[in-house]
Amino acid sequence: MKSSRLTRRLLMLLAASALLLGIPAAATAFASSATTGTGWIRLAHLSPNTPAVDVYLYSFGNSNAKIVLHHVAYGDASPYETVTAGDYSVAMRLAGASSSSAPVLSTGVTIAAGHAYTVAGMGPESGLRLQVLDDDLTTPSGRGLVRVIQASLKDQTVKVTYGSTVLASSLAFATVTSYHTVTPGTVTVTVTAGGGDANTSVSVAAGTVHTLVVLDGANGLEIDNLTDAAGSGEPPGGGVTTGFGGVAGHGPGSALPWLALIAVGLALAVTGSLTGRKRPQPRHGF
Amino acid sequence: MFLAAGLLVVAGGTAGLLLTRHGTPALRPVALGVNAVPAPTGRIVAPPPSAPPRPVSRPVALTIPLIGVQTKLMYLGLNSDGALQVPPLSMISFAGWYTGSPRPGAIGSAIIVGHIDGYNRAGVFFRLNTLRRGDRIYVRRADGTLVEFRVTSVQTYLKDHFPTEDVYGPVPDAELRLITCGGAFDPATHHYLSNVVVYAAEVG
Repeated sequence: MKSSRLTRRLLMLLAASALLLGIPAAATAFASSATTGTGWIRLAHLSPNTPAVDVYLYSFGNSNAKIVLHHVAYGDASPYETVTAGDYSVAMRLAGASSSSAPVLSTGVTIAAGHAYTVAGMGPESGLRLQVLDDDLTTPSGRGLVRVIQASLKDQTVKVTYGSTVLASSLAFATVTSYHTVTPGTVTVTVTAGGGDANTSVSVAAGTVHTLVVLDGANGLEIDNLTDAAGSGEPPGGGVTTGFGGVAGHGPGSALPWLALIAVGLALAVTGSLTGRKRPQPRHGF
Repeated sequence: MFLAAGLLVVAGGTAGLLLTRHGTPALRPVALGVNAVPAPTGRIVAPPPSAPPRPVSRPVALTIPLIGVQTKLMYLGLNSDGALQVPPLSMISFAGWYTGSPRPGAIGSAIIVGHIDGYNRAGVFFRLNTLRRGDRIYVRRADGTLVEFRVTSVQTYLKDHFPTEDVYGPVPDAELRLITCGGAFDPATHHYLSNVVVYAAEVG
């Protein structure tokens, strides 16, 4: 009796240890998504007559800022920051203002895993608002994407062409176009406005995503070319053939053979203990 | 009889499992049987916050201290069938950068591939699948500067279900993907059935 109880305990212990060690290892090996549960956010100041600001990013409900960008002036855009997916709030305070002071304005943003966002201060100072833009992270094979943010207050409405393609014929101040699919290459981008034109040479590689920002410069309009994202212009097809099999089966780290062995052993042991119990107990002195 | 044999097998299996697990992540920073290499020295150049991205020069070498990888980089393109070129059999101890992907340290997902093995010896990425989140990877560039990455995720995919968009698609920060073979080896086709992909992001 004693030994059978011990056996059962031992079995349970082994099963538990197999679960503890085996299941997480197997789950890692078969995870089919690269998602790490993170997304990206970038912060920008695109309000021409608003002085420099400090921009705070808070995880929703947490008063300790996750990211603080100091002295962000008109035309500045931060690099993308990687953050855990979830709800956040973005607050702007005048540059140098105490972090405990009431913000000039704030907005909520929900960051989904694998997605990217631009949160920009837009409009005139009198009507300043924080706008959340969804940034595209997929390009048609062999093509690029371009969109335009109109952040010039001096020229309220502009026309924007990318080579011979019209991206926007009448783009109003503080608005943004959707992404246009473009052929990769180096082209002249022209902004036509009442107060004078501006043009600049822009290179868009295949597999890249760009945002062009029309800004008020010291001498007329300026065009800023932001790279939103980049990948392989020609994505290779299928998997990669990177092994000849010389050490196949000796590769480090795989827990599967051992897990299979444990399973076989458990099956054997369970069968053994069950059949053992059904059999009549042998008596001494028989 | 069955019970005793079963218990023995279970004990053996558990011991084997423990040893395998012990050999890789438990012994951080250096795994059993690996001649770790030192992290390269030199100035690590990350883009300063809120500065426009500067063009970065071509990658020339790769170091992964924890698994003893220290290799010059070949330049790889696409085969006529659209598949990614890989280093030839005579160069299985070299890794290669896909020239159609962003340069390591520039915005985007840079692609570096290497073999897990040759016909009778280990390749440069033999131990790639033992890397774990947080492990460090260094790429040296033609201008002598270094860029440092940290592993964010290690995944194994069946080649038939290779997630092209996740691996090669655009990303908004400077990332790196290291690719090799893994999973079961099919002796009939002489190919591994899976790819191991290590995802890493620049330390900024």
